[in-house]
Parts: sequence; C-alpha cells; structure tokens
Amino acid sequence: MSSAQIEIQLIASLVAIACAIPGTFLVLRKMAMISDAISHSILPGIVIGFFITQDLNSPLLIFLAALTGIITVVLVEYIQKTGLVKEDTAIGLVFPILFSIGVIMIAKNANDVHLDVDAVLLGELAFAPFDRMLVYGVDVGPKSLWIIGTILLITVALLIAFFKELKVSTFDAGLAASLGFSPAIIHYGLMAVSSVTTVGAFDAVGAILVVALMISPAATAYLLTNNLKRMLVYAVCFGVISAISGYWLAHFLDASIAGSITTMLGVFFLGVYLFAPNKGIIAVMYREKQQRIEVSLLTFLLHLKNHKEKSERHVNHLNEHINWQKVRSKTVLDLALKNNMIYIDKHIVSLTEKGEGFTSKAITYIITNKDAQIEDMKDDFFLFRG
Amino acid sequence: MSDKIAVKVDDLTVAYNYKPVLWDIDLEIPEGVLMAIVGPNGAGKSTLIKSILGILKPIAGSVEIFGKPYAKQRQIVAYVPQKGSVDWDFPTTALDVVIMGTYGSLGWIKRPRQKEKKAALEALEKVGMLPFKNRQISQLSGGQQQRIFLARALVQNASIYFMDEPFQGVDATTEIAIINILKELRKAGKTVIVVHHDLQTVPEYFDWVTFLNVKKIATGPVKDIFNDDNLTKTYGINYKVSIQE
Ligand SMILES: Nc1ncnc2c1ncn2[C@@H]1O[C@H](COP(=O)(O)OP(=O)(O)OP(=O)(O)O)[C@@H](O)[C@H]1O
Ligand SMILES: [Mg+2]
Repeated sequence: MSSAQIEIQLIASLVAIACAIPGTFLVLRKMAMISDAISHSILPGIVIGFFITQDLNSPLLIFLAALTGIITVVLVEYIQKTGLVKEDTAIGLVFPILFSIGVIMIAKNANDVHLDVDAVLLGELAFAPFDRMLVYGVDVGPKSLWIIGTILLITVALLIAFFKELKVSTFDAGLAASLGFSPAIIHYGLMAVSSVTTVGAFDAVGAILVVALMISPAATAYLLTNNLKRMLVYAVCFGVISAISGYWLAHFLDASIAGSITTMLGVFFLGVYLFAPNKGIIAVMYREKQQRIEVSLLTFLLHLKNHKEKSERHVNHLNEHINWQKVRSKTVLDLALKNNMIYIDKHIVSLTEKGEGFTSKAITYIITNKDAQIEDMKDDFFLFRG
Repeated sequence: MSDKIAVKVDDLTVAYNYKPVLWDIDLEIPEGVLMAIVGPNGAGKSTLIKSILGILKPIAGSVEIFGKPYAKQRQIVAYVPQKGSVDWDFPTTALDVVIMGTYGSLGWIKRPRQKEKKAALEALEKVGMLPFKNRQISQLSGGQQQRIFLARALVQNASIYFMDEPFQGVDATTEIAIINILKELRKAGKTVIVVHHDLQTVPEYFDWVTFLNVKKIATGPVKDIFNDDNLTKTYGINYKVSIQE
C-alpha cells in the first residue's frame, strides 16, 4: 500500500466514526431525514465561506456552513410548529430552497470560483491526500485528516461527557426536562455536532456519503442489539468496515470511492437485515414458524386432555378431529413424542405425566395470564418467550 | 396531611398555538395528600402537570413548590409521564430506565455508579419487577412498563410525585399493587398527585380531588366535593356516582 492509500483509508475511517456517533442518536430520535437536509442546505454557507476565505478548509467556512445547518433545523421546526404541515414536509420545503440558493450563487460566480456542485455532493476522496497541511513548512499530513480528526475528537469528548443526558433526553424528553436537562440544549447540541461533522467531511467524501455514513451504520447496529452503548460501538465498526472495504472495492473496480463505500454500507445493512439473530427477517420467519407449530402442539395436547374417549385419540383419525392436514398432524405428533409429552399405545394417543403437567400449566397461564407461571416453560417453547 | 402547601398554582394559563387549553387555574395542594386530577379527555390534565414541572412554558401565571419556583425544587419532585409518551423500542433495559430516575440528583456530566444502581434495584424490588431487570423494555407488558415508570419515580426519593395515568392499561392486580405503593408514599408524608380516569375508584383510592376541564371546577377533600354536581360540571353530562363513605 502506498502512503496515499493508507491516508485515504484513514480519512474515510475517521469520517465514518465521526458520522456514526451523531447518526446513532439521529436514528433513535427518528430524525434521519434531518441529516439529509443539513447535508444539502450547508451549500450556501460553504459558498459564502469560500467567497470570503478562498479556502475550502478554513475554520471560518466550517463555522458558517455549520450555522446554515442549524438555521435549517430552526426553519424546519418553525414551519412545523405552525401546525400546517408535518415534519417531513417541512424538511422537504426548506432544504431544496437553501440548496438552490447555493447552486445559483455558484453558477453566478462560476468563472472565478473553483467550486462545483458535483464536488460538494460527491466529494473526491482520491484527491484528499494532495491537499497537505504545512506547519512551518513541514508536511504533517493531509488537511482533511486534521480537520476530521479534530471534529472526531470533539465529538467523542462531548459523547463521553454528555452520554447520560443524550440518552435520557432521547428516550424521554419530558423526564429530561423535569430533571433539569433542557432537551432543547441537547437537541441543538446534537444538531450542531451533526452540522459540523457534515461540513468537515463533505470536502473529502461529499454530502451524500455523509448522510449514508450517519444513518446506515446506526440502522444496521439497531438491528443487532438492545443496548445503547453497544449500538454505538457496532455503528462505529460498521462504518469503518464499510469505509475500508468500500475503498478496496473501488480500487479493484476502478470506481468512485464514495459510491463504493455507500454500496458496502447497503450490503452490510442488507446482510444484517436478513441474518440478524433476533430482529433479522429470517430469524423472525423461523420464530413465527416455530410458534405456529407450538401453538398446534398446544392445541393438540389440550385436545387430548379434554377427550378421554378413545375414538377421539386414534392416531389415524386425529387429523379429522382437529381438522388438520396429514403433514401437520404428523409434525405435531412427532414433536410431542420427541418431547415425551405423549405415548402411543395400540394406536391410541395419551398424555404422559410430563404432558399432563405441561398442559395444566399452559391452561393456567392462558387463563390467568400471570407471567410467573410460564418462567419455567420458557426453555422448552418459543411460544412463551418474551 | 399538614397545613403546609406543597404545590401552589396561580393564574396559570397555557396555550398550544395560541389556543388556551388551561385557563386561569388557581390551585393549592396541601402537603401529604393523595390527590386525583379528574376530567374528560383533552381537559388539560397532562398539560397542567407538564406546566407545573416546567416542561411547558405557560403564557401567564406562576407555580411554586413549597414556596419556591420549580427550578429550585427539582430534587424533591418526581414525575411519571403518560406511558405512550416514550419510545419503548429504545435500546435499553428495565434497570437502565429506572437508573434514569437518579440522573436528576447527579446533575450534568456525572455518571451513575454503584450507589445509584443499588437504589434502582431496590425500587425494582418494591414494584415486583426485579426478575425483569435485564429485559429490553419493548419485551415488557403494558402493566410491567407502568411498574418500571413507577420504580423510576420511586428511585428519585422525592417529596412530591406527579403521575399521569399510572393505571392506564394495567390489570386489577397491578392496579392494587400500584395503589398500595401510592398509599405507602402518603403514609411516609409524601404528596402524590395522580391523573385518574376511573371515577368509581376515586373515593376508595384518594383523599383529595381536583376537577379540571380547561378551567378548574373544584378542588378539595374527596368526602366534601366528590359529588354529582361537580361531576356534571366537569363532564357536561348528568353523572350519578354513589359514594361509599
Ligand atoms: N403538543 C400539542 N400541540 C397542540 N395541542 C396539544 C398538544 N398537546 C395537547 N394538545 C391539546 O391540548 C388539550 C389538552 O391536552 P392534554 O394532553 O393536557 O389533555 P388530557 O386532559 O391529559 O387528556 P387525556 O385524558 O386524553 O390524556 C387537548 O385539546 C389537546 O388536543
Ligand atoms: Mg393526558
């Protein structure tokens, strides 16, 4: 690997981490669309900042652009508060206007400004290593690396300091307010961090990849855990893995790096969406199938308990009595046998002691709906799992 | 019950989008009562509690908790919001939600430690939810979620408790468990204010009541003011509730 390659991967990874942290809270607050709005509406801020500073990496430009991000959020909330339109509509109204103002400003000054809309939207990671940071004439690395590194450091420090406040205000804003943690301060703090991160990252990776890096890793992590800290860690990991694997995908396909990283983010999300152990589609389908079988088993056991007469319990006629197809009766019969719930004597099915006990317990549970009744049945059956 | 006034509301008017939903409310809640706030849907009961707790800004009026503004008294006030007001799919456990009750006494930045965890476990024990401490909150039944909220308020170890419909969607057993805990709080000298919908149980559960429908209709001891007249004024239709003494 050349040093430029390493630098590109490093920048991409730092951007991924810096995005995943605010992204996790945006996803939990159901505000994913706001990051899209911010990423577009910072354009006029960038253009104005560029007119003043002539330097895409100047702190003043970052500040001005981040301010446009906050203004977007304020405008969206203001329009929403009038009660005339819903939040998504308000977002859809605000950011295209700000974005087009930026586009017009660029077009009007196209001749003397080295800035184009494509660069803002898509960025060019491959060029990032060429813009060097010089300290007293000494090359200390790419500028983007320093910018995003600084932003990441601030983000992590804020996260560690205010984790508890972020958590409580995201889960229950009312409680947070009554405890004295102003949800408004935390909300705008999060918006400020999201805006600054977006601005700091757009030059290297482009606005679209920023949105993908904020939302996709967090959404993937959400499917894998019920613990906020772990969700943050997973989101960071997915972001970094996608960034690095995306870089190599682009390398071998000779394609856009930002596009490849976005593709990898999608691939990981899809993989987790399908295969996640609890919330994944396949796990859910499997669980539902198991539950169907277990409900059948229970129905079958209840039938046996209710009917002492032999005619109702003959193996070959069971399907007639409970009105099931042969295959289903067979599955259920096998399952009951395997669990020692029943025995078959001269083609007549009867409950074993264990089967009797289980059925009685199940009946009490169904009638009383008391959770204590089912705690020890849980190991055997999906049906009673929380 | 003492002669001290725990909560004093003066000329409180609250509006959403310039439409007043609470209008010129005056209210004095004595220390040590177990009080029900009753009124129809949309009467402004939740709004009243939220305004007292500084969650909503009133357009007029003031609130005092033991003679001081709420912001100075946060530490002694606990709040149980209406259950539907939070996202139960949030990635967190029952224990963690209860620990959130300790955040107020911790203040900004400081993190909960062993002491806070221990207090949370005790509160879970009190509401009979200890076996579920590590459950993800979406995997709890409605009644269990309500108990978690109650535990979160208990852990605040407050002097005044505000609860918005703690009996919503719970079965009879849980309702009795909750009311017993509330009565215990009153016995310990705490003031408990509960938004309540089941008029039949008001005389049995509470000793103080406030009728609310945009304006305050009446407030006072249940035995004096819980009558058909006030119910009719509040709900607008003829009410006949037989009161067991
Ligand atoms: N965020 C809001 N924006 C606008 N109007 C609101 C908002 N919240 C409540 N309202 C309105 O304010 C009025 C009072 O609402 P509030 O929630 O206080 O009623 P409530 O007495 O608690 O009712 P419920 O018994 O249904 O809980 C209602 O008319 C409601 O529509
Ligand atoms: Mg309410």
